Amino acid sequence: MSIIRVRDLEYRTKEQLILGGIGFDIQKGDYVALIGPNGGGKTTLVKVLLGLIEPTGGSVELFGDPYRSTRHYKKIGYVPQNVTLLDQNFPLSVYETVSLGLAAQKPWFSFLGKNDQDKIERALESASIAHLREKNLSELSGGQRQRVMIARALVSDPEILILDEPSTGVDIISQHKFYQFLKSLNTNKNITIIFITHDMGVIADDVNRVLAVNQELLYSGSARDMLCCEAVSQLYGTKSHIVSHHHHHHDCSGSAC
Amino acid sequence: MLEIFDYEFMQRAFVVGIALSILSALLGSFIVLKRYSMLPDTLSHIALLGVGIGLVTGTSPLYIPILVAVVSAMAIEYLRFKKQLYSDAVLSIFLSGALAIAVILINLSNGFNASLFSYLFGSITAVSEEEVYMSVAFTFLCVILILGSYRKLLFTTLDEQSAQASGIKVFWFNLMLVTLSAVAIALSIRIVGILLIGALMVLPISTALLYKVNFAKTLLLTLLISILSVISGLFLSFYLGFPTGAIIVLVALVIFVTTLAGTLI
Repeated sequence: MSIIRVRDLEYRTKEQLILGGIGFDIQKGDYVALIGPNGGGKTTLVKVLLGLIEPTGGSVELFGDPYRSTRHYKKIGYVPQNVTLLDQNFPLSVYETVSLGLAAQKPWFSFLGKNDQDKIERALESASIAHLREKNLSELSGGQRQRVMIARALVSDPEILILDEPSTGVDIISQHKFYQFLKSLNTNKNITIIFITHDMGVIADDVNRVLAVNQELLYSGSARDMLCCEAVSQLYGTKSHIVSHHHHHHDCSGSAC
Repeated sequence: MLEIFDYEFMQRAFVVGIALSILSALLGSFIVLKRYSMLPDTLSHIALLGVGIGLVTGTSPLYIPILVAVVSAMAIEYLRFKKQLYSDAVLSIFLSGALAIAVILINLSNGFNASLFSYLFGSITAVSEEEVYMSVAFTFLCVILILGSYRKLLFTTLDEQSAQASGIKVFWFNLMLVTLSAVAIALSIRIVGILLIGALMVLPISTALLYKVNFAKTLLLTLLISILSVISGLFLSFYLGFPTGAIIVLVALVIFVTTLAGTLI
């Protein structure tokens, strides 16, 4: 079943076309990498999916409902770009930060009940940060902060997790663990994951779909076939090939667009 | 020592002072953490424009500043959030524009006198009974709104984009925060003064942040520091005869510097 259905999507500002003619479906349980050059419209596409900006043309359906009429906020968790750069001095504990993921669903004048506290505990445990609950954000490493933001996104039990360049500012070892964690969320909890990345190694290892975007959709398909698509290979250099985190090489011959 | 409470104007000053210290602590915490520390100063200068309009037209020096500050606060937030203008540039434009018009209006009304001095630096004798009722009622309203939307406001303060993606109406919460701040500042100018109210909103939370505790504890510390500064300032102002706003801010500054020194040792 398609949980996201995009048709002829267009987004333009007064000055220029940012995205045009974009169409794709995302199925429940997909693990999708969104790639493309800087300024190619990846973040804009994510913002449209999140309902942060309205497309200027085309249609987006989430869970079968027209995007404009129904918002499925609770079903979508979002981890923004550069979480490691969040205000170092902001006085928030890990527990308080994760609890913010429930803020939108709570009516005015309501406090966290037992059910909410259980949800926060589950999110802390699934992100393996339960032992950090009393720590302030300023005391955490980049990788730990990344997990806190994921726990905040997970606390409302989303069906889709959208991450904007999640490994930025995180060291290599933490990155590897982080992608393992994302993969486990996808495999064990059947959470559909969409993330923007420049890390081609991750694409080769884990994801089952790649969307390559540069104003238009250049490619939609498996990671292995991606560089066989001439338009994509031009983005990253015609002689490039993917070297995965496990050092497997993927070569191709002929066009697969 | 307690003869201070024999005077009716001091009773009024204490009630209004404590109410305003709660207001400035609650609102100042969110404003400073949003990196919006120039907002109180801008709104207080806009309130001075309201005072100028009041002096020229002979209308209420209480309600006109509130009205002018609220309308301007809404315009500032609209330009920042909807039109994506740089917030510091918007604040600077409103501050200097409001001050320029205020000076001309006050000049027209021949208002450069002792009364204006009390608006600029605060005066304990200036608080009317009407201001007491308004301040207390507004403080209750403000506490209820902030406690009622505590987590939504906090999420909006930490990360507007993620808050919006989670379904929170960020623009409306920002608007609520700046509007409440506008009213609080317009109410505060009689006791703390236009030139010093910004400091009362910024200093207590800046001191509390030095303790590096979680948000709930930071907010409590901010409240305590703010109330302590205002009560001590009122006592010192009464017995030493200094302008109220100046002495309140000085107490808050001493607490900040002492705490900072403690963290450096």
